[in-house]
Amino acid sequence: MSQVRLEQITKSFGNVTVIPPLELHIADREFVVLVGPSGCGKTTTLRMIAGLETATSGSIRIGERDVTDLRPGLRNCSMVFQNYALYPHMTVAENIGYGMKVRGTPKAEVDKAVTDAARILNLGAYLGRKPSALSGGQRQRVAIGRAIVRQPDVFLFDEPLSNLDAKLRIEMRTEIKLLHRRLQTTAVYVTHDQVEAMTMADRVVVMNQGRIEQAADPITLYEAPANLFVAAFIGAPSMNFIEGRLEGGDGGLQFKGDGDVAIKVPENRAGKLGAFAGKEVVLGIRPEHTMAADAGAPTVKLTVRDVEPLGPHTLALGKVGQAAFTAQVHAASRIGPDDQIEVPIEAAKIHFFLKETGKAIGR
Amino acid sequence: MSVRTLKGKRRWLALGGCLVWLAITFFPLYWVLITSFKTPIAVVGGPTYLPFVDFEPSLTAWSELLSGQRGQFFNTFLASTIIGLSASIAATFIGAMAAYALVRFTFRFRLLSALIFVAIAFGGFLVGRHVLGYGQGISLIYAFVAALALAVISSRFRLPGPELGNNDIVFWFVSQRMFPPIVAAFALYLMYTEMGKLGFKLVDSYIGLTFAYIAFSLPIVIWLMRDFFEALPVEVEEAAMVDNVPSWRIFFGIVLPMSKPGLIATFMITLAFVWNEFLFALFLTNSKWQTLPILVAGQNSQRGDEWWAISAAALVAIIPMMVMAGLLSRLMRSGLLLGAIK
Repeated sequence: MSQVRLEQITKSFGNVTVIPPLELHIADREFVVLVGPSGCGKTTTLRMIAGLETATSGSIRIGERDVTDLRPGLRNCSMVFQNYALYPHMTVAENIGYGMKVRGTPKAEVDKAVTDAARILNLGAYLGRKPSALSGGQRQRVAIGRAIVRQPDVFLFDEPLSNLDAKLRIEMRTEIKLLHRRLQTTAVYVTHDQVEAMTMADRVVVMNQGRIEQAADPITLYEAPANLFVAAFIGAPSMNFIEGRLEGGDGGLQFKGDGDVAIKVPENRAGKLGAFAGKEVVLGIRPEHTMAADAGAPTVKLTVRDVEPLGPHTLALGKVGQAAFTAQVHAASRIGPDDQIEVPIEAAKIHFFLKETGKAIGR
Repeated sequence: MSVRTLKGKRRWLALGGCLVWLAITFFPLYWVLITSFKTPIAVVGGPTYLPFVDFEPSLTAWSELLSGQRGQFFNTFLASTIIGLSASIAATFIGAMAAYALVRFTFRFRLLSALIFVAIAFGGFLVGRHVLGYGQGISLIYAFVAALALAVISSRFRLPGPELGNNDIVFWFVSQRMFPPIVAAFALYLMYTEMGKLGFKLVDSYIGLTFAYIAFSLPIVIWLMRDFFEALPVEVEEAAMVDNVPSWRIFFGIVLPMSKPGLIATFMITLAFVWNEFLFALFLTNSKWQTLPILVAGQNSQRGDEWWAISAAALVAIIPMMVMAGLLSRLMRSGLLLGAIK
């Protein structure tokens, strides 16, 4: 059992608090991705688990052990770094086996572990090469190999794919996922790329300014973001936001917003949202939910400023009132800059957030 | 802009300029070389430039030098080599460790601790000498041990006053090279003689001169190696830390091999300094451990302007360094870090 528990962890550098008290429990065998904009504290959190940073207060437990004050080597974690961090003067085989050799493992055992790791990672042909003679993807595989042979309680990944080109990144994404399924080891993975987070994680932890904004499985994050930050961060292109207020009346609850936006709140949600009538709210709708086919769907008026044809569909970028808005339209539609188009909105996919706190409402 | 981008006349001008400069730098060496093969008559008879054409080469100077007629040549050469190599190796090694510590660990201490050290060291010496009536050597030893102990103990307490860090330590090291060496050489000579009175022979001994050279080379070594270590990617060491590699193995097994070009460059600079050093050798040696610069300089003062003999001795002092530089420059190539990151 190697669950990881961060209990009321804080981190300050001098007078600057990077992580206010943070609580995070990672289950055994879980693949958790920490995601957030740069400077949100995700890497610091990972380094505290590894022991490369010491927590200012709070405690860290791996399995049943309290590792808060243990040095990195004794925590039985393996870490893969963004820039690979290979030993440049050693061959691939020496790189992978160095840790075991230093810990005094018999040579035959080291050789076997290195061969096994090389087989899993398709590095067999390169064991005698130096890292300088490898491509970026191969180098990162060596780094992963070095992590595997440790047989750690927890794998720690610090943006391991950020230095690879786009195609290789997608391949390695799958490889790491398969590897996790095969090894069944708890993994904590840090990335700033929300697509990577969504595609790899059992559970995504969205962080901002050292706080956890939401921790949930990818689909929940996408369908039910807890607040404006998560809503804006998850999904590409990102969610559209229109500011306005909820108004009760004869025809039921209505959202009235900037740019003559008037959308009737669906009956099934009016009940919960009724309490917020008269309050300033933000309406959120994802670009992919602006292609509603059913007649009678509410619409907004979009002034198009740019058109991005992507193949399967086309993105129309522009403004609704003063708010930036991106709509997804059919690939066949003939629109151009400065056009004014009526964009239908799928009422069921609308999100409402309280403007004051940013919290999602009406769920 | 590269010379290759120049065209026509300008290119020839650039080439001509380079050749003139080459001739200027090489001429003294050439002059020393041919002079060492001239007979006394040929040297004093006006300038001659080409062997076999202008003058008939002779091996007089070399045979005199190598047969020992001009002082203990082999002995001196051996002393220079032993002291040079051992002092440079020790200085590079110790300095590298100090530089690594200064790059990777944070040190903090109060200015007051440093002042305590200075005050106790000087005051203790004076008290020992004049109040307690100890000899100079004994006072010196007691005062320094007491000063060091008190400074270390005092740094455990939260003293008032400004706090110093790693950069201040590095500045302190480098600042030792700012005052004229004669200050240190003279003081060192006095200290060594006092130690000699206590029974530890340091003047004209291997230990004495080597210690002096190590101490005087350390600032430069620390300063150079700090830059090399700072350029190393810290993640490589962190990866090893997570992998439970002990600190000393990280240093010897990973950090030192990665900074090999830097170590060799630093070793070369230190060796060149020690090999050519004159002042300390003049003060601290007299016969047994005399070094080559003293011998070469001595040629002139002992026998007058016998340029043929001085030239031969000078060449002997230059050649080992050139061989050393030639051998080591292959190892100094950069690109060792390639593949560690990105």
